[in-house]
Amino acid sequence: MFMNTNTRLVSPEFDYLQPKTLAEAFTMLADHGGSAKLLAGGTDLLVQMKMERQQPSHVISLSRVKELAGITEGDVLTIGATTSIRDVSRSGPVIAGYTALQEACNAYSTVSVMLMGTIGGNICNASPAADTAPALLVHDASAVLRSGKATRTVPLRDFFTGPGKTVIQPGEILTAVELPKPAKGTGSAFLKISRVVADISQVCVAVVLVRDGDTITDCRIALGSVGPTPMRMKQAVGALIGKRGTPEAFAAAADIVAKDITPITDVRATEKYRRHVSRIIARDALLTAWQRAAEGAAK
Amino acid sequence: MNKLDSAATGEHNVNFRQIGKARTRTDSPGKVFGKTPYAGDYVMPDMLHARVLRAKVPSARMTRLDVSKARALPGVAAVLTFKDLKIGTVATDIPGQTGFKRRATDQQILVDELVRYQGEPIAIVAAETVEIAQHALSLIEVDLEPVPGVYNVFDAQKPDAPKVFGTDNLVASYKVRKGDVEVGFAAADVIVENTFTTQYIEHAFLEPEVGLGWEDEQGVINIRSSTQAVETFRYIADAMGLPHSKVRIRGALVGGGFGGKCDVTVELYIALLTKATGRPVRLGYSREDSFYGHGKRHPFIINHKTGFTRDGKITASKIDITSESGPYAFMSPYVLMYATEAGPGPYLVDHVHIDSRSIATNNMYTSAFRGFGATQACIAYEQQMDEAAKVLGIDRIELRRRNLLKTGDAIATGFKVQSAVWTEECMDRAMAALGEKPKDKGAIRYGHGLAAYQQGYGRMIWLHDTAEGWVGVEMDGTVLVRSGMTDIGAGQTSSLAQIAGELLGIDMMDITVYNSDSSTTPLAGTSSASRGLYMSGNAVRLAAEAVRDRLAARAAKHFGSTADDVDFANAQVFLKSDPRQTMPFKELVAVCASEGIHRAELAIFRAPFGDWIDPETGQGQVHPDYTYGAHAVQVAVDTETGEVTILKSIGAHDIGQAVNMAAVEGQIEGGVAQGHGYALSEELIYKDGYLVTPSLSEYLCPTSMDSPRIECIVLESRSGLGPFGAKGIGEPGHTPAAPAVANAVADAIGTRVFDFPLTPEKIANAVRKARKAG
Ligand SMILES: Cc1cc2nc3c(=O)[nH]c(=O)nc-3n(C[C@H](O)[C@H](O)[C@H](O)COP(=O)(O)OP(=O)(O)OC[C@H]3O[C@@H](n4cnc5c(N)ncnc54)[C@H](O)[C@@H]3O)c2cc1C
Repeated sequence: MFMNTNTRLVSPEFDYLQPKTLAEAFTMLADHGGSAKLLAGGTDLLVQMKMERQQPSHVISLSRVKELAGITEGDVLTIGATTSIRDVSRSGPVIAGYTALQEACNAYSTVSVMLMGTIGGNICNASPAADTAPALLVHDASAVLRSGKATRTVPLRDFFTGPGKTVIQPGEILTAVELPKPAKGTGSAFLKISRVVADISQVCVAVVLVRDGDTITDCRIALGSVGPTPMRMKQAVGALIGKRGTPEAFAAAADIVAKDITPITDVRATEKYRRHVSRIIARDALLTAWQRAAEGAAK
Repeated sequence: MNKLDSAATGEHNVNFRQIGKARTRTDSPGKVFGKTPYAGDYVMPDMLHARVLRAKVPSARMTRLDVSKARALPGVAAVLTFKDLKIGTVATDIPGQTGFKRRATDQQILVDELVRYQGEPIAIVAAETVEIAQHALSLIEVDLEPVPGVYNVFDAQKPDAPKVFGTDNLVASYKVRKGDVEVGFAAADVIVENTFTTQYIEHAFLEPEVGLGWEDEQGVINIRSSTQAVETFRYIADAMGLPHSKVRIRGALVGGGFGGKCDVTVELYIALLTKATGRPVRLGYSREDSFYGHGKRHPFIINHKTGFTRDGKITASKIDITSESGPYAFMSPYVLMYATEAGPGPYLVDHVHIDSRSIATNNMYTSAFRGFGATQACIAYEQQMDEAAKVLGIDRIELRRRNLLKTGDAIATGFKVQSAVWTEECMDRAMAALGEKPKDKGAIRYGHGLAAYQQGYGRMIWLHDTAEGWVGVEMDGTVLVRSGMTDIGAGQTSSLAQIAGELLGIDMMDITVYNSDSSTTPLAGTSSASRGLYMSGNAVRLAAEAVRDRLAARAAKHFGSTADDVDFANAQVFLKSDPRQTMPFKELVAVCASEGIHRAELAIFRAPFGDWIDPETGQGQVHPDYTYGAHAVQVAVDTETGEVTILKSIGAHDIGQAVNMAAVEGQIEGGVAQGHGYALSEELIYKDGYLVTPSLSEYLCPTSMDSPRIECIVLESRSGLGPFGAKGIGEPGHTPAAPAVANAVADAIGTRVFDFPLTPEKIANAVRKARKAG
């Protein structure tokens, strides 16, 4: 551990494969089984390989599989798994309808990581600190998982099973995330606290609110870096739906958030501080989303 | 950039042609276009690659070391352990000093029995590839039996503490006794007492330590490395039992040093492996090797007890200083000396009582870091001034104004400062540039903070500091400079070109500077202690003046005038009294060459020499001279989350005379950014001796996204000891930056966090505590 540093060169003790189609990728996955790893932008995987937390025999790059990249609008908004964080943040439909996701992408530490890192890599890596995860959760996104034989769509709320763990089965590839159209009167927001700008979060929060006049008709809240997986806050949501959207109501909901989360103390922050700021940014995100919902345009 | 107008400052009537201008540096084009070779870019045929095996635990006894498997690995050329060393230890003192006997605090090169810090080197390997070397490390079998260690300075001072250093863990201690503090406190209306602490921090230079070594046809071990100190060649020779003449160190342009490349780093391992294998050896540290592999900035605990009259005059200053040394001495005694000397800050205090000590622990060892202890002293005395102002109900700037040292006043050690002391002007200019404080918005509070400082430049005078420099003119009229000075990114070589160019009338861009070679460039000491320009600049000035004098004498003969009527500019020689009389510089040089007039000069510059300060009273002279200035900061603090945003950051310094104004501003801006990180986010955290922040993803340096635009206000008193009246600015730009941030944060939140760094969590807690207390 001590010698396996994240800035050393990884020795090429693996084979590097570059499929051009999904079909080819599935064949390669089937051939090499559990010891193969998919590579999108590599900003998580390569760090893990340097630290020797991952030692794949085969690295299968998805960069040439064209069908995995890009954003298309239909009944749902489909974001290809290998779309870069930067492209997501600059996408017209994302800017128009999914503010929390756009803000999450813009909150990424540095431009270089935004250019290399992908949305699929972010959620498949399943770090509790993944910035897009809480945003995708509140936008009610689903993950499209394909294998050589079948396709299934898993709501993102059922996707994460633990730190670094997801429901993805051997042989499956995440091809896209799908976001339903936001309801009329929707506002959303994402906030992140980090130690310096170029850092992953100490805590992040995403919120979607749907309002009808002064009443909250729907609400979703999710936080990152406060538990083993990105967490949805059902209690706090329960306290808001059907209520009037007042600063007091939002503050009360934020208090529930601070109680419900299960943060730990690590190098980045203490448990206490995480609870403390979760309350503050949950409150602020709710207030912001509420205002945005009033501003008319379904955001 | 601003200058005081000449009426206000009595500016001398000097018309420089190149000096003082903001010029593109001679090293800039190569860096901008990616052409500059750094030490790590050099390779040689048949070269081996080295790696270092480090102890995984901070305090242990080595009971077994078996390298047989590593040696047997195909592709491994050498594995060295303590058993293979002739000498076993290497000096950790300031290299190149002459006035004082080297301290007997040498460090083991490779662990022979006891491991005293996590990361201490146990074995070094050279192999055909980095991968084989890395693999070989994993084949080395080491048994380390933990022995009780000591991980904080309080425990280390207890009588039954494990002994890390000497018989009592005391690495150094000093006293200052000026006047009588009891008398001073008796005269005080108000006494303010506070304790301030600072943390371990990392130099975090962009370029980790790296070097390449080979043995040449004369049996000289050559090393090309990233270093601030080519003069460590002597320590390497001593550690290998070689004559000094058989080790040569050459630097390259360096990707940052900040004091972290003043000690021997990779050079000795490279030399040992080169000698053992007879082949060239390259060793490049990874970032984590760098975290484990060089000395850090000392954490300090500083207690200030200060007496004031009701109207804010300081009557007495009692200061207690403890620094953490880690297990080895390295620069700890000197760093402590700086902190002690700077103890009360840039203020006139008649009654001073300082006790200071440096304590050994099994945390990482510490060494030089930009400011060298004066930085930590400033963090304490400037926060103390703000706290005192609050208690006294006097404006913070006004309180300083009432106590600032003036030219000719005696500092804590009794030494009377001879150069201009323009702290007040700097303070006023910095505050004026800060402007109005914005109105608070909800949880966001705005704060202004200032810190003034005193920073010695040049080495402590008992080290008898000298620097040599060579200037010569080629037959075609081109100018060469040779100086042993290393160039660590501050533009050292460029400034030497500018100095020679000014005196010989040749544009700096047309001058070639050979530097940083311990064998072929005249030695000029380390680029440290804000001494680079002061020492090597003066040596090159003297050499250029001597050459110029001889050329001028010959030109005078040509013009039928006198030598002092001859001037040099734009590659022409002409008469001041009649500028129409000109001659190309080139032609004059050709005449001199044909007549055998010496066109070159090797000069030596000597800083003031002196003795140690009195050990009982701490009275005497420590530094040749001092730089003064002030830094002001505006911050916004989110009182709920504790997050700090630095909105404005203004450094105002009297630097005596700028040689290259752009380089001066670069030094200030870089030092300030480093100071901001020091105040807010940077911290090497050791838990029972284990580093828990071993990479740049845990150890947080600010990036451009965290930094405001930094404004520089450069005043020029022309009163310094450097060339043309320059003072040192390499460290001073950094010194007040961190305490200014701390004072701004305290101003914003109405309470203070006494422990660096000021993390959002500490700030949020302090706000809550203050609110509870009402
Ligand atoms: C300096 C730095 C800063 C960072 N800052 C941030 C930050 O601010 N916020 C943040 O959230 N993250 C940050 N990260 C983490 C990382 O950049 C992101 O998680 C990024 O989105 C990962 O995407 P990637 O394409 O690089 O993933 P990769 O590293 O290529 O892959 C990550 C994991 O997902 C798997 N995978 C990738 N694509 C698929 C797929 N289509 N189907 C199935 N499995 C797949 C891979 O096998 C691997 O296990 C940072 C990382 C670094 C190095």
